[in-house]
Amino acid sequence: MSVQHDEAQDLETTSGPPSTSRRGGPSAESHSRGWRGLGWGFLVKLAIMAVINALGLLALISAFRVESWWIFGITLALLVIADIVYFTKKALPLKYLLPGLAFLFVFQIFVFGYTAYIAFTNYGTGHAGSMEQAVDAALIQGERRVEGSPTYPLSVVERLGGELGFAINDGGEVLVGTENEPLSSVDVPTASGAPSDVPGWTVVDRGRLLSDQELQAAVVDLRVPVSEDPNDGAIRTRDGSSGAVYTSTLVWDEEAQTITDTVSGTVYAPNDRGSFVADDGSSLPTGWYVNVGFDNFLAIFTDPALAEALLIVTIWTFAFALLSVVLPFALGLLFALVFNDPRIRARKFLRVLFILPYAFPAFLSALLFRGMFNAEFGVINDLFFFGADINWLGDPWLARGAVLFVNVWLSFPYWFLVCTGALQSLPSDTLEAADIDGAGKFRRFRSIILPLLLVSTAPLAIASFAVGFNNFTVIYIFNDGGPVIPGAPYRLGSTDLLITAIFDIAGISGGVANYGLASALSILVFIVIGLIAAIVFRQTRRLENF
Amino acid sequence: MTETRAATVRETAGDGGSRPPHDRTSARRRRWWLEVGWKYFFAAGIIFYAAFPLVYILSASLNPRGSLAASNAIFSAVSIENYMALGDTYFWAWYGNTLLIGGIAAVGAVVIGAAGAYAFSRFRFSGRRASLSGLLIIQMFPQTLAFVAILLMLLAIGEVVPALGINSKISLIALYLAGALGANTFLMYGFFNTVPIEIDESAKIDGATHAQIFWRLIMPLVTPILAVVALLAFIAAFGDYVLAKIVLVSEENWTLAVGMYQWVSDQLTSRWGLFTAGAVLAAIPVLVLFLSLQRYIVGGLTAGAVKG
Amino acid sequence: MRKHIGMSALALASVAVLAGCAGGGDTSDEASEPVDASGVELTVWVDENREPAVEAAAATFEEETGATVTLVQKNFEDIRNDFITQVPTGEGPDITIGAHDWLGALVSAGVVNTIDLGDKTGEFEQVALDAMTYDGQLYALPYSLEAIALIQNVDLVGEEAPATWDEMIQNGIDSGAERPFVINTAGQTGDGYTMYPFQTSFDAPVFVQDSSGSYTNEVGMGGASGEAFAEWLAANGEDGTGYISTTVDYAINNELFNSGEAAYTVQGPWAIGEYPDVNVAVNPVPPAGDGTAAPFVGVQGFYLSSQSENALIAQEFLVNYIATEDAQRALYEADPRIPAWSTVAEEVASDPIIAGFLASSQNGVPMPSIPEMGSVWDFWNAAQAQIIAGADPVPTWDTMVSDLEAELGG
Repeated sequence: MSVQHDEAQDLETTSGPPSTSRRGGPSAESHSRGWRGLGWGFLVKLAIMAVINALGLLALISAFRVESWWIFGITLALLVIADIVYFTKKALPLKYLLPGLAFLFVFQIFVFGYTAYIAFTNYGTGHAGSMEQAVDAALIQGERRVEGSPTYPLSVVERLGGELGFAINDGGEVLVGTENEPLSSVDVPTASGAPSDVPGWTVVDRGRLLSDQELQAAVVDLRVPVSEDPNDGAIRTRDGSSGAVYTSTLVWDEEAQTITDTVSGTVYAPNDRGSFVADDGSSLPTGWYVNVGFDNFLAIFTDPALAEALLIVTIWTFAFALLSVVLPFALGLLFALVFNDPRIRARKFLRVLFILPYAFPAFLSALLFRGMFNAEFGVINDLFFFGADINWLGDPWLARGAVLFVNVWLSFPYWFLVCTGALQSLPSDTLEAADIDGAGKFRRFRSIILPLLLVSTAPLAIASFAVGFNNFTVIYIFNDGGPVIPGAPYRLGSTDLLITAIFDIAGISGGVANYGLASALSILVFIVIGLIAAIVFRQTRRLENF
Repeated sequence: MTETRAATVRETAGDGGSRPPHDRTSARRRRWWLEVGWKYFFAAGIIFYAAFPLVYILSASLNPRGSLAASNAIFSAVSIENYMALGDTYFWAWYGNTLLIGGIAAVGAVVIGAAGAYAFSRFRFSGRRASLSGLLIIQMFPQTLAFVAILLMLLAIGEVVPALGINSKISLIALYLAGALGANTFLMYGFFNTVPIEIDESAKIDGATHAQIFWRLIMPLVTPILAVVALLAFIAAFGDYVLAKIVLVSEENWTLAVGMYQWVSDQLTSRWGLFTAGAVLAAIPVLVLFLSLQRYIVGGLTAGAVKG
Repeated sequence: MRKHIGMSALALASVAVLAGCAGGGDTSDEASEPVDASGVELTVWVDENREPAVEAAAATFEEETGATVTLVQKNFEDIRNDFITQVPTGEGPDITIGAHDWLGALVSAGVVNTIDLGDKTGEFEQVALDAMTYDGQLYALPYSLEAIALIQNVDLVGEEAPATWDEMIQNGIDSGAERPFVINTAGQTGDGYTMYPFQTSFDAPVFVQDSSGSYTNEVGMGGASGEAFAEWLAANGEDGTGYISTTVDYAINNELFNSGEAAYTVQGPWAIGEYPDVNVAVNPVPPAGDGTAAPFVGVQGFYLSSQSENALIAQEFLVNYIATEDAQRALYEADPRIPAWSTVAEEVASDPIIAGFLASSQNGVPMPSIPEMGSVWDFWNAAQAQIIAGADPVPTWDTMVSDLEAELGG
């Protein structure tokens, strides 16, 4: 980005033209705003940049320590760019754009990219972690306490060189062992409780054990065999003060990357779907997430139940977005035309009352209407339909009507304001000319006012369409997208928009989570929105005006 | 022309005074009814439509029975029991969180948006048009669609910088600010263009730097649009459900939108009375801000967006 | 009682040991010195109702060990998903409260650790331990049982338990109440859980149980018995008698019952506090079909994260501070569900209301905990809501069953 604006001098380096002591002089009134006061602006900048650099460095160190290379790289890049932009005279516009661009890049563009990545995985219920974690989980699930094994008082002991072991008290007899040495008796006086003094060993006190996470992890993983025969099991502790004998039925073979069930002899091998599967088709419960290519995208179109529900959702999304612009616009325009009349008293006061719905937070309105539309107890049936049992939220079409009603109520004041403003800024000579020509009221409206109004409000209408297309709050909060379409998976409902459908599929609100599928759908919606945006901007040629 | 538009769209006070003072004949009266009088009845209808739900919620919030079914008789009982009961919940914590998050997000959005608009309006650099179009397109993509990635990214960032991880209000504010450049720059850009460049140039001749021009010359001149953007950003943060729900995972960190949705949706703790009382209180800051800034809003919306 | 004393002694002993460590060296002579366990921080997810009780146990624990317990109050329904999402990234808690029917999902996500209650095992009701067991392994410390039951307005219909649905409805009509019976359908969502005792009375269990009582993957609610239930549901739905209606959610249900407008309702022990204005009696749910009305028994407990970096101390907290009679009693008082701790359960069974729920739970069957349960509820609830609202019962039900079979098969 090169600067063509040649006066690219920087705040901190400015000395300005030689001072001619304008300040104080009476003639300097119009211009002397003290431009060349002290460079305190520079000091503020320096202070802010110092803080940003310090925080950035801390983040870099932290990222390095947890080996989080993505974050390390992005932080480093942002930091370097920030320092270059703010400490050199180049790239003047960037000084103003960088803060916004940084947020935009990390929290919007990067997450879009990340979404695309997830769309190609099977991330979701049952495939939530890494393969390593799946192995851990399998081993946890496969390790069982030997039936009838008593609970022994236990101490964690340490030997020179840091080798850990367990010392247990088996009915007064103290036994010690390590991972490689099975338990053996040591000669200490009969004790009760956990062994406190074991010759040749240092007893690790519990305070240290509990506050040292590395040590704790080692102790949690430590298994001390009871005897030379591994089938007898091993001592394991769960709290650091008692132990019991456990045997494991699943063995992880790191070389072969397989898990073997020692009881049945079944070998579970990883497959390309992120699960451990045996030859007979049985699998271990815990999987991990893997790249599944275009499967999620294919599922959207090939799974009949899903595809059918999504088609309904898509059509409704467009209908809702369109009607959410047209209806409130018409209503707002009507009100604006009627009340853009200087003969009406207290117009300001009326306007305040008209725009109350717009000033009332939308999520509260949606929740409020949710209660008001309740068929049996809601105030709408009770008061306006004389207690009739109209099932507003349970019937697909009534629910669609109800949610549109809510959205019109929410947004007509916006269009009332916009249309009022636009009407008042219409060139008065045009209107007067029409008046002189004797154009009838309606004709004047249709052939002069409306076209002018449409031109001036078109960008807002487009923005409003986009908002309606993605109006999560009203749809989700009003009726959870319900009522549910019969037979639709993921509880997709008749008033669901694509965006709430994605939320349902992701399973944030319960049920089965399928982040991969949800992300794939997000990507498709991105593409649809992008297409709409491109077509619309081409059509309106707004870009010409820059 | 354009620079004065913001002023002209604001209504002038005392506009009712133009009616002729001595229209006493019945013909005139009938004409008055036909042309003006009926509009008052029409207005009454609109006011009923606009305000009924709000009257209802006020009435329900004062009903000590605190249930949906009992709230239909408007103002049948008046008690502040529901309001007192809010003290036993996290309501005030949510209230504070919401104001804090919304406030910071609003200030941040104004600064970022204004800086962006200034750059686009005053500097001519290569890639300027492409960047503007890019922003215009990007702002159409809702972040909400990427919530899964946002969740995972915050979990990853939390490993490195716990203050920016999940359950952090700072993360949520940062997420809201991500949209600031895209959504607001475009709105402000038009308004900035209405400030004549001659003002900059004369200050420049006097030796003002670009930063001084921005902070001390331009910013005071564009106050209306700053107010509008601040209000819009505040309302957006105030009303956001999805991102707040995903980021803020513990109840004391919730915002009003997340918490109050829970009251009404969670079948085991449904509390209509609490909700209505909370809603009345929650609406106050937005209503006050909105109504006190409304003359700017009319000017800002139309001047900034209705043709820059 | 003896065990209780023994446990306290053990706790005391551990305090002494811990206190000794902190004394700035190797000797354990200053028993009163608090342990320096700074840096040890246990994070526990808990919901609003149970927070005070867990907080009390945590306070004792903090006092005796010096560790910090951070309670994160969460919405109960959010916990399952957040736990599954956050544990693999290392951000999750060490311990969380949860329901037993999440177990399948938690195990398949690999986020829960097994737990060993040691000598405490015998203190718990066997059914609670069974519910928390998956593939032979115990995964959580149970603390409560719950089952829904028939709650009746004593002033309207007396305390006598009706023997059948018809008898109940007749009693309700005779009492002059506006509605003989009201039941929560969670609004439009549908509530297969609350409706389940009626469903089982038609001999249509959600899954077929094998000889040992474990659930199989075979959907049991298809066929003639399921269709009979669907028809019954429609007959009593909005186009039928109207006793069951999708306009009733939890709050409305309670409002109607508490105001005396309804004579009977079906609810769980957690709802009793919502009925301060009426005298209630609790009885088993009467059957609508020919079989027994068997409600689901749900068990709640504390899960341990598989990725916890404080596994030892977390286990210590659970076994020695939560699995105590006092802590279990405190939990009962914070959230009155049937205690899983036998002696506390006996203690509270003197209360006729709890006794009523206990009696109902004895008819009950554990709620299945297979991982697919989430989508089972989605289909099942939705179909019920549609039938109640007037959809053609048999085809709607059959479609739901075949959708479920496809879902579980695939």
